[in-house]
Amino acid sequence: MSETTFMGVERERIDWKPVIDYSKCDFCMECVKFCPHRVFEVRENQEIKLVVKNPFNCVVFCRACSKTCGPDALSFPDKNKTSQMIRDIRKEAENHE
Amino acid sequence: MSEKYAVLPCNGLDKCAGVISREIALRLCGDAGHEIICPVFSRIAELKYRKIISEHPLLVIDGCPTRCASKLAAEKNFKIAGKITVTEEAKKSGIELSDTLQLGEKEHALIGLLLNDLKTPGNTSKQPDEREGESYHFDYETFQKGKFLFRVPVNKDIFFIENDCWAYVSGNRARIGVTDFVQQNLSDILFFTPPEMGSEIDQFGEAGEIESSKSVFEVISPVSGKVIGVNEALIQKPELINENPYELGWIADLELTAFENDKELLIGFDQYFEIMKRKVMDLNG
Repeated sequence: MSETTFMGVERERIDWKPVIDYSKCDFCMECVKFCPHRVFEVRENQEIKLVVKNPFNCVVFCRACSKTCGPDALSFPDKNKTSQMIRDIRKEAENHE
Repeated sequence: MSEKYAVLPCNGLDKCAGVISREIALRLCGDAGHEIICPVFSRIAELKYRKIISEHPLLVIDGCPTRCASKLAAEKNFKIAGKITVTEEAKKSGIELSDTLQLGEKEHALIGLLLNDLKTPGNTSKQPDEREGESYHFDYETFQKGKFLFRVPVNKDIFFIENDCWAYVSGNRARIGVTDFVQQNLSDILFFTPPEMGSEIDQFGEAGEIESSKSVFEVISPVSGKVIGVNEALIQKPELINENPYELGWIADLELTAFENDKELLIGFDQYFEIMKRKVMDLNG
């Protein structure tokens, strides 16, 4: 299993990343301080000071950054849909073998 | 809340939720005679509050998930006996807090609800009807990086997910918990929120939370099932997770509902041990 897979599926095929609601985000950067995977990037001199720079660094099913978010500005996909997607991709790969 | 508490609010004055935390603390201390810990003054005059905190269980009131009051308690090494987060309680009650700092009708309604809850014994420590589960003992393979030791139990009935949680399956039941990778990265665990007894959890669903001064970790259930037991001991002693997250530091017992289906996305010791070692090297250099 390489660094770019999750449950045997290429990480880039799994849609799991935080989405920032800019109407709520106050750019406190608690999420940046917390996330050890460098998912976010700070852009100090721009109006939008925070972006999701490396979505595929995000650990699938981890929502820890959203739990540090005071203004509740981070959201994630539905876990059931994501796990079903992983199952489907695995089945598809088995059928091709 | 039948006994006298030391109450530590976040007192955040730039958000509505912080203003609510302050109001709840003031009301608790004014009407019900609990002792307030001022988060601002405690930073420069800690001794003033040491005695109160040593004599009374500590109730922490965070306004929002930034958890300023919890972090202050961790920094000062105050043991948390109970806690609430205003924004979470608002969500549970279906109350949308205003963007302003003035407390309106909705905010006062929430304050009333929370004060009422806090006056009901047991509510702050969130104790469900836990049952004492039997304790297991396992053999471990270990991996050491610097001063940090990472254990992984070697047992064919223990399954893992890549999110560093485990399930020990026995018949139609499973005990679940987190691995050493989680507890070592969180460092000292200060608070445990158990999953709700009787609730149904999907595979990869949330099975409670554990919290340190660094972060809140959502326990991710490796298996689907109904919660039939939680580890009551963790409510008073969350540090048991640091001591051994596989034995006395287990999280919950589940009655399995779809194990044959879940198995497809579970891994055994061999695979997990390799994944964990790689993560340790990546994160800790």
